[in-house]
Amino acid sequence: MSTHDSTATRLERSPRGRKAKRHVWRHIIALVLSAYALLPLLYVVSASLNPTGTLTGSNRLFRVVGLDSYRRLLASDQFPFLTWFKNSLIIGVTTAVLSVFLGALAAYAFSRMRFRGRRTGLLTIVLVQMFPQLLAVVAIFLLLSRIGDLVPAIGLNTQAGLICVYLGAALGVNTYLMYGYFNTVPSEIDEAARVDGAGHFRIFFTIILRLVAPILAVVGLLSFITSMNDFVIASVILIDPERQTLAVGLYRMVSNPNYADWSAFAAGAVMASVPVVALFLFLQKYIVGGLTAGSSK
Amino acid sequence: MLMTKKSIAVGALLAVGLLTTGCSASSDTPTASATSAAPDTTATSTLTVWVDAERADALAQAATDYEAQTGISVDIVARDNSTLKDDFIQQASSGSGPDIVMGAHDWLGELTTNGVVAPLELGDKAADFLPVALDASTYDGVVYELPYAVENLAMLRNADLVPEPAANFDDMIAKGTAAGVEFPFVVEQGENGNPYHLYPFQTAFGAPVFGRDDSGSYDPTQLTLGDGAAFAQWLGTQGNNGAKTMSTEITGDIAKEKFTTGQAAFWLTGPWNVNAAVEAGINVAVDAIPSPGSEAAQPFAGVKGFFVNQYSENKVAANDFLVNYLGTVDVQVALFESGGVLPALTAAADQVSSDPIIAGFKAAGMDAVPMPAIPAMGRVWEFWGIAEAGVLNGEDPDATWLQLTTDVQSAIDGS
Amino acid sequence: MTDLERARTRNTGLGGLIVKIAVLGGLDAIAVFLAAVLVGRGDYTVAGLVIVGAIILTVIYLSERFIPAKYIGPGLVFLAIFQVFVIGYTVYIAFTNYSTGHILTQDQAVEALLSQSQSRLPDSPSYPLMVVESGTQLSFLVTAPDGTALLGDAENPLKPVDATFDDGQAVAVDGYTSLRFADILGRQDEVSSLAVPLSDSAADGSLRTLDGRTAYEYTSSLSFDSTTGVLTDTTTGESYRDGGEGSFVGEDGTEILPGWQVNVGLDNFTRAVSEPSIRGPLVYVTAWTIAFAAISVGIIFALGLLMALLFNDPSMRGRTAYRIVMVLPYAFPAFLGAMVWSGMLSQSFGFINQVVLGGASIPWLTDPTLAKVAVLMVNLWLGFPYMFLVATGALQAIPGEVREAARMDGTSRWQMLRHIELPLLLISMAPILIATFAFNFNNFNVIYLVTGGGPRDTGAGIPVGHTDILISMVYKVAFTGQNRDYGLASAFSIIIFIVVAAISIISFRRTKTLEEIS
Repeated sequence: MSTHDSTATRLERSPRGRKAKRHVWRHIIALVLSAYALLPLLYVVSASLNPTGTLTGSNRLFRVVGLDSYRRLLASDQFPFLTWFKNSLIIGVTTAVLSVFLGALAAYAFSRMRFRGRRTGLLTIVLVQMFPQLLAVVAIFLLLSRIGDLVPAIGLNTQAGLICVYLGAALGVNTYLMYGYFNTVPSEIDEAARVDGAGHFRIFFTIILRLVAPILAVVGLLSFITSMNDFVIASVILIDPERQTLAVGLYRMVSNPNYADWSAFAAGAVMASVPVVALFLFLQKYIVGGLTAGSSK
Repeated sequence: MLMTKKSIAVGALLAVGLLTTGCSASSDTPTASATSAAPDTTATSTLTVWVDAERADALAQAATDYEAQTGISVDIVARDNSTLKDDFIQQASSGSGPDIVMGAHDWLGELTTNGVVAPLELGDKAADFLPVALDASTYDGVVYELPYAVENLAMLRNADLVPEPAANFDDMIAKGTAAGVEFPFVVEQGENGNPYHLYPFQTAFGAPVFGRDDSGSYDPTQLTLGDGAAFAQWLGTQGNNGAKTMSTEITGDIAKEKFTTGQAAFWLTGPWNVNAAVEAGINVAVDAIPSPGSEAAQPFAGVKGFFVNQYSENKVAANDFLVNYLGTVDVQVALFESGGVLPALTAAADQVSSDPIIAGFKAAGMDAVPMPAIPAMGRVWEFWGIAEAGVLNGEDPDATWLQLTTDVQSAIDGS
Repeated sequence: MTDLERARTRNTGLGGLIVKIAVLGGLDAIAVFLAAVLVGRGDYTVAGLVIVGAIILTVIYLSERFIPAKYIGPGLVFLAIFQVFVIGYTVYIAFTNYSTGHILTQDQAVEALLSQSQSRLPDSPSYPLMVVESGTQLSFLVTAPDGTALLGDAENPLKPVDATFDDGQAVAVDGYTSLRFADILGRQDEVSSLAVPLSDSAADGSLRTLDGRTAYEYTSSLSFDSTTGVLTDTTTGESYRDGGEGSFVGEDGTEILPGWQVNVGLDNFTRAVSEPSIRGPLVYVTAWTIAFAAISVGIIFALGLLMALLFNDPSMRGRTAYRIVMVLPYAFPAFLGAMVWSGMLSQSFGFINQVVLGGASIPWLTDPTLAKVAVLMVNLWLGFPYMFLVATGALQAIPGEVREAARMDGTSRWQMLRHIELPLLLISMAPILIATFAFNFNNFNVIYLVTGGGPRDTGAGIPVGHTDILISMVYKVAFTGQNRDYGLASAFSIIIFIVVAAISIISFRRTKTLEEIS
């Protein structure tokens, strides 16, 4: 984009100049918000680089910079970090994909079909997820214990069991979110496809899903983050250290405050945030509507 | 056409279903009867031991050795420390509980109230343990715990700043100030107070929490907390309105930071923090806690050990493993090497006391008293820290301590 | 409906039908197998549920109707098993006295009481032991301190006997087989519960062993008569009976623990609302809970939306980088963020006071009002990435044509925001906002980790603080010290749920009218 003008005033008044000015205040606000978002994380990074330091004891961040804690954590026998990483990724991705799929199925039905109890059903699904989970730990332990007696593959101490529990929350607010988005896809598209001879499942799978990609990507990302960060349920179900997830393992490292290794924990937390950022980078072009640029709808 | 398709579908479905069920049903009955058969007659057993995730490695070697000796395999399960007690209590009677659980002596009140712990027979070995360890392992006259470590607070001193130990509290402050550092003395507090750390000072003024009855157990009807008025007065002089030697602003992190960077001369803390200080290059010396009052400063002792699950089906093996194996010098020293806390077996304790730091903790622990495990103690914790924090923040010591005693007494009476 | 009919006829080709049958067949086979196993264990109700569930699923997928059910079915199955069960279990517990001292069954409680009442006689010597058996009956062969061998079993007191000795210990007797340690392992329960009387007089006590190698003299201070159900203290003579509330009660009303779990009807609920120490703080805690949730939703939505709009302009550079930064707080474990904030807000040592405010001494966490502000600030930090993501996604749902049309009409950016984008967003995000409200109503983590609920209200009889919300107060009331009152906590959970659900339903109703317009 080259400009023909050379004088400063003309530059200011040209569309590009006006845009640049408009963006200046955007950048200012964005920078302030970035500082707010990043501040506590600086502590975490600083603690991860200071092998013998504390988490919140000192305000002199980055006093000592070294990668000892990272090395210590990765090489540790007591804390099988890489195994946790692998477990978390498997569970996280599986949960995200299945959650999105189950939710999308339900959202499609609520959006496209008219049946008795549609509105109540949707409302109930959202309400059910509001129940305080104070006793969830005890209940889920009992449940999986019983299920494990019958079907050991999805019982206690199995990743499949944990995924099943997470899928219990698949139908919830995210379903409503997707329902709202599905509603914005005009039903004329369904009509057209039906005229062409497609059945309802084919319409759903090949046409609608692509059109709602942004919301699927958002829900997928949220679902992934939720399962990566959950440690209450995961710590009840996964008992062997080799099967545990990042969240459980990291939490265990500091659950006894007297023996907590905050530096290694901070290093672990930093490394654990990488998959989330990577996934976000991968999904963000879908989130901001890569495939559905306005008019193709 | 629809009808035919549907009927074909139903028919096929039924066929598939019956076929597979038939196959599985015939293999099903043997399984069902196997599970209800008498316990097998082969002579091996497995002991499931729940341990704090930190100690799992230390016990792994002991488990292998035991298995080699007796053929009983020991399955060490590492659990999250913060939920270990609650999980054990809930699961002990359900059949998926462990045979042995690792914990601390102050769990005994809760464990016995819930009926999940079985008595242990130390036999003649009882005399081989440190007196405070045996005292703590006994509840209502019955021994329930096999102790392996005795944990108590001591006074860490930066020997480069202050070459000599302090004679009493005031001497300590004087020496610390003379050394020219920002904090002569740090102790971990926090906005809700930390009565565990201040207990040695409280006992120095002659006010333990509970009195003892004839058999030596803590007696919930003798709340002696109220005798602490003198302590409260003194505490008030050390807080925000006075010498400012202690503050609720100092968290564990901050205290550790100050000592390990040489900004504090004395640090009242436990064995868990020694490594951090040593690794930071401080020349650490460990002294007994200097007393601010007329009596010796007696810190709480926390005795860590193992308990047997009342509903375990392997009680004999469990007892054998604990008393005859974990109660030996080699294993106790191995556990010490992993945790750094003084072993409970006297012979082991003597062996590791060649290290001056451990010897220092041992000396500080000579006067230590076990934390009360009785349920009434839970009531005390609810109000104790807040009251002390209030005094440190400048509230009236007499009124606050009186309120504390009244609150605790009515909570105990009401429960 | 004609569209659906047309869709129906073209829906399943032969290939699809085969797949469907195979999957359903497999499902039904598994269901029947599971039901058989359950019936084998006597669990008829669950077996019934499994069969009914399988039948329903088969009908749904086989039939040409029930199309919505086919789509919602899979998710509902997981919801029903894993979520609804948790709710059901909580409800069940709310009607029992499941709490410290009442977690066992009655039989287990008796077993525990008897076991705890065994006390070793203070001057009991240790008797080297060999467990022997005759037939299936176990006996103890012990070596007395004076070197003689004694033999006895549960009914017959110890009597001297001729035995073979090995290194001073009696190890075998004619007519009995000596059990090796490995053999004992198969019958540990029997061995540890065997009590051999010392003499004909019961008062002398009996020999017991806990480790199979040594025996000691014990007396038991409790005895239980299973026919009358009376527990008797042999030292004092007092007797205890089932008091009807899950424990043994003496004549003067003293309760012995451990007790057992019983159904207590509405007890927990009445206690939840009428207990004097709770009633006082209950009002202001409820008010703060509602305020906290509502304000949280408000500010989180505002900030998240602001950011989504900020970065929605394609011509702005560096948007990806900014977006990553905004998502980062969500990528870290929430408790870590809360803890760091708690440290940063320290009055004398915290970053905020020392560095950002240049040495101020603001009591963020110890002043009742400021603590509320602090908690909201931290909650904002924890929650805005979620709202940012959702708003970004939802913004894409506004068709480009609408914006184009508005721009061509000459609408300014601000007008477009206010009159077009905002209303559309509110409609699509209303349920999210309501759900976020409900989530923050029960947001235990943030409160607990930043302030612990404090600063403490020193006047209240319970350890409640000025930033405590209902759920954290329940936690403190039900789980204090050594007491875990799961029954009370469950009753509270249900009450809280009713409150939140009521508020949510009302909010849904009011936003429903908006929905119908679009």
